Amino acid sequence: MSTWRLQRLPAASPLVSLSARLISVVLALVTAGIILAATGKNPLDLGAQVISSTFGSSFGMADLALLFTPLLYTGLAVAVGLRIGVWNIGAEGQFNLGAFAAAGVALFLPGPPALILPLMAVMGMAAGALWILIPTLARAYADVSELITTLLMNFVAALLVTYVATGPWLDPSGMALATTARLPVEVPAVWDIVHWGLPVGLILAVLLAVAFGFTRWGYEVRIGGSNPGNARYAGMPVRRHLITVMLVSGAIAGLGGMMEVAGTVHRLQGGISNNFGYIGIMVAVLARAAPLGVIFTALLMAVILNGGIILQPQGLTTQTVLAVTGLILFYAAIGDEFARYRLIRNAKPAGTR
Amino acid sequence: MQSRLGLKPGTPPLVALRGVAKYFPGVIANEDVNLAIYPGEIHALLGENGAGKSTLMNILTGIYQADAGEIVVDGETMAFASPVEAIAAGIGMVHQHFKLVQAFTVAENVHLGWSQTPARISARDLEARTLKLSQDLGLAVTPGARVSDLSTGEQQRVEILRVLSRDARVLILDEPTAVLTPAEAQELFVALRAFTARGNAVIFISHKLDEVMEIANRVTILRGGRKVATEWTENCSEKGLAQMMVGREIVLNTLRGRPEGAGIGAPVLELRDVSLNAGDLSLLKNINLTLHAGEVLGIAGVAGNGQRELSHLLTGMSTPSEGAVLLEGQDVSRSGARAMAQAGVGHIPEDRLHAGMAPALPITDNAVLREYDRAPLAKGPWYLPRQAFHLAREIAKIAEVAVPDFAMPARNLSGGNQQRLVARREMRIADKVLIAAYPSRGLDVGAINTMMRYFVELRDSGVAVVLISEELEELMNLADRIAVMFHGEIMGILPAEGVDIDEIGLMMGGRRAA
Ligand SMILES: Nc1ncnc2c1ncn2[C@@H]1O[C@H](COP(=O)(O)OP(=O)(O)OP(=O)(O)O)[C@@H](O)[C@H]1O
Ligand SMILES: [Mg+2]
Repeated sequence: MSTWRLQRLPAASPLVSLSARLISVVLALVTAGIILAATGKNPLDLGAQVISSTFGSSFGMADLALLFTPLLYTGLAVAVGLRIGVWNIGAEGQFNLGAFAAAGVALFLPGPPALILPLMAVMGMAAGALWILIPTLARAYADVSELITTLLMNFVAALLVTYVATGPWLDPSGMALATTARLPVEVPAVWDIVHWGLPVGLILAVLLAVAFGFTRWGYEVRIGGSNPGNARYAGMPVRRHLITVMLVSGAIAGLGGMMEVAGTVHRLQGGISNNFGYIGIMVAVLARAAPLGVIFTALLMAVILNGGIILQPQGLTTQTVLAVTGLILFYAAIGDEFARYRLIRNAKPAGTR
Repeated sequence: MQSRLGLKPGTPPLVALRGVAKYFPGVIANEDVNLAIYPGEIHALLGENGAGKSTLMNILTGIYQADAGEIVVDGETMAFASPVEAIAAGIGMVHQHFKLVQAFTVAENVHLGWSQTPARISARDLEARTLKLSQDLGLAVTPGARVSDLSTGEQQRVEILRVLSRDARVLILDEPTAVLTPAEAQELFVALRAFTARGNAVIFISHKLDEVMEIANRVTILRGGRKVATEWTENCSEKGLAQMMVGREIVLNTLRGRPEGAGIGAPVLELRDVSLNAGDLSLLKNINLTLHAGEVLGIAGVAGNGQRELSHLLTGMSTPSEGAVLLEGQDVSRSGARAMAQAGVGHIPEDRLHAGMAPALPITDNAVLREYDRAPLAKGPWYLPRQAFHLAREIAKIAEVAVPDFAMPARNLSGGNQQRLVARREMRIADKVLIAAYPSRGLDVGAINTMMRYFVELRDSGVAVVLISEELEELMNLADRIAVMFHGEIMGILPAEGVDIDEIGLMMGGRRAA
């Protein structure tokens, strides 16, 4: 008689891990479908509708690209932090600040776009970095966990943006109630309404992958993130790397905000960050902090968010969509664990327990 | 057999393993292992690094599942899915690397994950319960103390208390004495004898043969994952055991002799009036030390008397509060660890898991820690993973560590193999000085022997070696001079030739050299 049992492996094989990821996505969608069916909707119809409206037309594809772009930036921002063991929960706020600074430059500094756009990008990145500066110093010099400090900064950033957009920077034409005037410059388009923010984000992902995988700096960050004691033993400048990595993380999120306000929305308004910073955490975790992986997981999240928007007329709320993203993360965590097991066949009975 | 342990004939074993096998990708960790543990015995488990000792015990305690074979407890076949199930059947283990929660108190750790812990209980009651357990089981602990504040020996007592309080009948100890002072080890043995006298059993993994001879009733030897023999300890000699472990004879000889032309040379590394303070605490006081090229300086002393701080100063990991560190006449007090390594100072640290390695990262990353920033691994700012892989393979080869997969996290290596890799990595860069803190911890006899021979080679080629150790025998075999530390001070430096052990013992207790 033979029995089957689970065997725990020391490390999951990459292929199995990847399949587990894919299966977890499918399972999350199936679960969501079952819930939808229980509320009396036909999930297959809805799914078909999402797919045809997203991939069936160039409008759909362009909409998708516009959701994908900010997630790429926030996902990369969080992923960069994770490489050195930092949870940047504040990408949301850094994104807002980046948008704020870029809008400020565009609204109040006259000049040719060729000059103003790069300045906006630089200021957006600087603002994002500035917004994570205090959490960074607190972590580097006083070992204060960045989890709470970065999170708190988000609320301040959101209030700041809403305040200026409805107060001092409010559109003077009186046409808009809660936004600034349309920015006089914009990130040029590459295709349809899709702007340069997308290719720049993709290039950034590749550059980061190279930096982490193929530079001495990347090696040191890897060691410092995995075991700071080991890095200190080897005489690596752990604190300096921590500070650099956290500031870069903030700057990337800030650049995302700049691209969003100058490429997609064209006006600064409250809620411009649209939870991208928080969803970026899921993007990064699903990608296991691999910059190239972020490209795929950000795209996946964009498809799901876009699906939610398409289905809004059917009575689907944003909450439902966020719940689906949460489900994916949940299944992925389970999948990661299962990927470490293998089913084996025992020659002898396994025992009585 | 049973009668020799003072048991009634026909007494069944507390636990038996039958035909157990465990395979990891590319490695046979265990195959066809049979083992029976009887009430009242201390059973030693011996074998080279990577022989499969820890794996076998992990199977017995439900951390791994066997690929073949069975576990029989009280005549019943069992398959444990987790350590919790194993402990419920009376089998508990204290690991090579402790698993306590550092931020919790002793009482909290003892009660963590235990079905008999009341759901709601005040810290006071928890500590009272712990105190009672500790008294009943004869293991003195301080229930209210935080684990991170305890010495290694105390932490180990907490681990043992954790296991015994769950009514374990079989206690498994994986290299328990590797991190203990000799006095702490003796305390442990007393507790173990008391435990087995109550009809329980201990499985004891160790590389220290004298200890095995002292405490074990029977001994089982593993080689390459298979069982070689189970013997009564009385019928064995240390030499015989070593031979069974490695499969060949090991020649242990004194290593102080030198070939023609290799003598003690000029001073390389010097400590001048060095003190180290942390706040008001004085860690090192007025240390003067001169290391010469081609000599081995032994540092003796009970662990925790400043050895760690001394090794940090010598390797640039910390800067002296007063005084200066000189490398070939240059002041290197504030150079930092990287500059020292680049200048040719290797460092085998005392704590490989927290300092020496990044256990979660691939073996490759760990093997190249000292050379990732030089050619051929580095080219300007670039790091070349292919070259890193080649170097890692080379280091694993000379360290005699079989690695099936270099992308595997380093923590999957056996404890001794981790140590071999770190030691080799450091010896490669030690052109001038090698600081070796307890380098033989966790190594099997054969590997210790090999390492000592390499130390001798380094020495003969003109490297200054500092050997920090608690094994006086090791020091006397290898060192030219022995410095004794006590409370952050050097009590004196004696030539090793013809040294009086009793005198060293007195100095370790705080008496200055005459
Ligand atoms: N999780 C794992 N994944 C892959 N290989 C493993 C794993 N655990 C152990 N091994 C391999 O199995 C073999 C036996 O390892 P084990 O830890 O049992 O040795 P050991 O006898 O305890 O050695 P040591 O004296 O060095 O502690 C080694 O080759 C080791 O690399
Ligand atoms: Mg072991």
